[in-house]
Amino acid sequence: MSSLSGRTAVAGIGATEFSKKSGRSELRLAAEAVHAALDDAGLSPADVDGMVTYTQDANQEIAVAREVGIGDLSFFSRVHYGGGAACGTVLHAAMAVATGVAGTVVCYRAFNERSGRRFGQPDARLGGEPSSQGLEMSWHVPYGLMTPAAWVAMFARRYMHAYGATSEDFGRVAVAMRRHAATNPAAWFHGRPITLEEHQASRWIVEPLHLLDCCQESDGAVALVVTSAERARDLRRSPAVIRAAAQGSGAGQMMMTSYYRDDMTGLPEMGVVGRRLWEQAGLGPSDVQAAILYDHFTPFVLTQLEELGFCGRGEARDYVAGGGIEIDGRLPVNPHGGQLGEAYIHGMNGIAEAVRQIRGTSVNQVRDVRNVLVTAGTGVPTSGLVLSAG
Amino acid sequence: MTLITDPTLHDRLMALAERQAAAGEVRGPAAADPVNVPMIRHWADAMGDANPLYTDAEAAAASVHGGIVAPPAMIQVWTMPGVNRRAGQRPTPVDEVLAMLDGNGYTGVVATNCEQTYHRYLRPGERPVPATRFAGLTGPKRTALGEGYFVTWNVTWYCEEEPVAEMLFRVLKFRPRTGRAASGTQDGRAREQEAGARRDSGAGEGPAGARPDSGAEEAPAGARPPYPLRPAVNEDTAFFWEGAARGELRIQKCADCGQLRHPPGPMCPSCRSAARTYAVASGQGEVYSYVVHHHPPVPGRQAPFVVAVVELPEGVRIVGNVVDCPPSEVGIGMPLRVTYRQMDDELVLPMWIPRES
Amino acid sequence: MRTLTEDQVEIGSSLPELSIELTPTAIVSTALATMDFTPVHHDVEGARAQGSKDIFLNILTTMGLVERYVTDWAGPEALVRGINVKLGVPAYAGDTLTFTGTVVGREAGEFTVEVRGRVSLGDHASGTVRFALPE
Repeated sequence: MSSLSGRTAVAGIGATEFSKKSGRSELRLAAEAVHAALDDAGLSPADVDGMVTYTQDANQEIAVAREVGIGDLSFFSRVHYGGGAACGTVLHAAMAVATGVAGTVVCYRAFNERSGRRFGQPDARLGGEPSSQGLEMSWHVPYGLMTPAAWVAMFARRYMHAYGATSEDFGRVAVAMRRHAATNPAAWFHGRPITLEEHQASRWIVEPLHLLDCCQESDGAVALVVTSAERARDLRRSPAVIRAAAQGSGAGQMMMTSYYRDDMTGLPEMGVVGRRLWEQAGLGPSDVQAAILYDHFTPFVLTQLEELGFCGRGEARDYVAGGGIEIDGRLPVNPHGGQLGEAYIHGMNGIAEAVRQIRGTSVNQVRDVRNVLVTAGTGVPTSGLVLSAG
Repeated sequence: MTLITDPTLHDRLMALAERQAAAGEVRGPAAADPVNVPMIRHWADAMGDANPLYTDAEAAAASVHGGIVAPPAMIQVWTMPGVNRRAGQRPTPVDEVLAMLDGNGYTGVVATNCEQTYHRYLRPGERPVPATRFAGLTGPKRTALGEGYFVTWNVTWYCEEEPVAEMLFRVLKFRPRTGRAASGTQDGRAREQEAGARRDSGAGEGPAGARPDSGAEEAPAGARPPYPLRPAVNEDTAFFWEGAARGELRIQKCADCGQLRHPPGPMCPSCRSAARTYAVASGQGEVYSYVVHHHPPVPGRQAPFVVAVVELPEGVRIVGNVVDCPPSEVGIGMPLRVTYRQMDDELVLPMWIPRES
Repeated sequence: MRTLTEDQVEIGSSLPELSIELTPTAIVSTALATMDFTPVHHDVEGARAQGSKDIFLNILTTMGLVERYVTDWAGPEALVRGINVKLGVPAYAGDTLTFTGTVVGREAGEFTVEVRGRVSLGDHASGTVRFALPE
């Protein structure tokens, strides 16, 4: 079997500004980001023949194609499970390009998640209909367990109990992300770092999570251009080669509420992704110089460090102590500030940062970056990437 | 008034309600006038509300708002339809349900609940747009006014695309008691007229102007408002909810290999059997993990409240609320026993209380 | 007018009572100020013809008065976050509407006051008002 590794690359990235109120339609945001990504790559809309987005995105591929002036499409696909789709869009694009189904594929995510429908708000309709997901939600929603923060908090409590982790351990993640965002002009929290004391003093959202354990809500869009590694080398920007791409779901998997399968201290689906990424890339945790870890809620950053092999089970709190995941630490995580600090674009802004790190053009550039690991939404079936220079 | 009760009416009503709920949010016309100081002044004057931040530019500029704001409770005022009801207005998803009830003798109407949440204060120049969502129909129920159905809807007001305020509104549509007809056919007609006025006013954003039109009548007694967080139920899960209604905690059991499983599903993942039965759990358990919910507000719930993953001695886990216990006393490993709470006239939820170990 | 500070609000304390005379002028002026032109709120003949003993207060006004009752006490800068009202008997012209209230909760900077508005027939409105005080 031929491997996907190294055959495709991210050749362009584009984004709108990140705000709390874009004042524009989601379709317009998508179109703006796609144009920006194509300009970045030095390609024209006519070069695009494939498109991938999230099932949750409100902008159909054909609508974005119409707005941008993209012509014939030979590939279009959607990836499911909320933010777990992020790296999955790149995987689908890479598979299409590697197999010749498409030549150049655009991945995009666009929404007004702050000024429009907010994912953090309770929606009584979650358990509303007897679809498999509605039934799954119906074991939780009637008890008022119906926000992402609450779903994650349930895992966080068990994790704290099992490993003696504390709210301050979670807080160190938030402090690191806000430190990074503070020096990133594109970040919503640019110039606004926080202290651990501020984290501890922030109000409860769902115990054991404080407000500052929860990522912000944002309006904005990000797009990526995926083409063959060979072609990418001839384009305007140095390519971020897709060294590995994987999706993962675990046994007994649910959407955010996999409380019934194991000891609730891990993210088995991320374990699936991690094992596949390392194997496909022929690399291990010590071979990446920076990581983009999905950070909608701080506790799962710790869990990911463990699932991906950066440290042992229960050891992540020591790993993040003393600035371990800060820009000058042992593993710089989310130099852009993550979703806690830069913006919540469902993980797509993290992939763009990984590309900048590979190119050497990030505002918070890590030195000598050759390989970057990227992950997508946690607590849901998810995905990941290893991007490499070359 | 003689009414022949159509035996299919209830099912037709519920089917209509389901369709209307599925229709989701339907936007109405934007406020005829943007938020403005003259209307605020008129309102504050009539209410006797002397808050200077509503009308005094200087005081407002020096306040937390930095400028004049509208009283939050005016939110509905901005999108009221005016004297000459707007013709050809797009109907809200509530209208058809009210019309079917009217057409079948449920001509009386009385508002029972008005719940408003204000996400922020509005400023002069903003122009809210109302969007109405049909939220629920429950009944028939016996009430002091007569047999009736509770109709609930939500209105969200948007400025640009930002939701700025929300309202839950509930009315009881009732069939005036025939015994009362003796005190005047006028009575029945009055109710019909008032119901008509209700409908004209455009359900969501209009004045639910109706009140009991006889002062002698009390608000409906004994009827619970529908609990907003209802589970979806199908043939694979109905046994659980039926059990809860009878005070049984039922755990699915494979009829072939005997494996217990929660949450339940149609096919045994161990032996492929689709033959299912259930075991009634002992009702004991202990906290495996838990959260204390504070924010954001959850409909039908008073924060803070505790939700736990409960591990049962039968070997499965189940999610439920821990009640009758201060949140600060809940901890992992805490022994629990099941209890049952009637959430509305139909739904019973199993919940958990501390147990002496 | 001063706004209360958080430490001035004690759980369990009562709000000063407020009585509002429901003159016909009060019923009509508030109905019109809330853009509610339903006849039962301004037309005595019309209201009686429908079986009501007089014109009565409309719901938008009930909400407004509940809000005013709390902000009169808490001060102009109190930030009202929500009002939940269970509606009871009608408040007819000629009656007196008397509000009482108790501070019942405080949760992460948000206070809850339980409010009852009574008329001669019983509870016209009962429920809660949620508000925050500026830091």
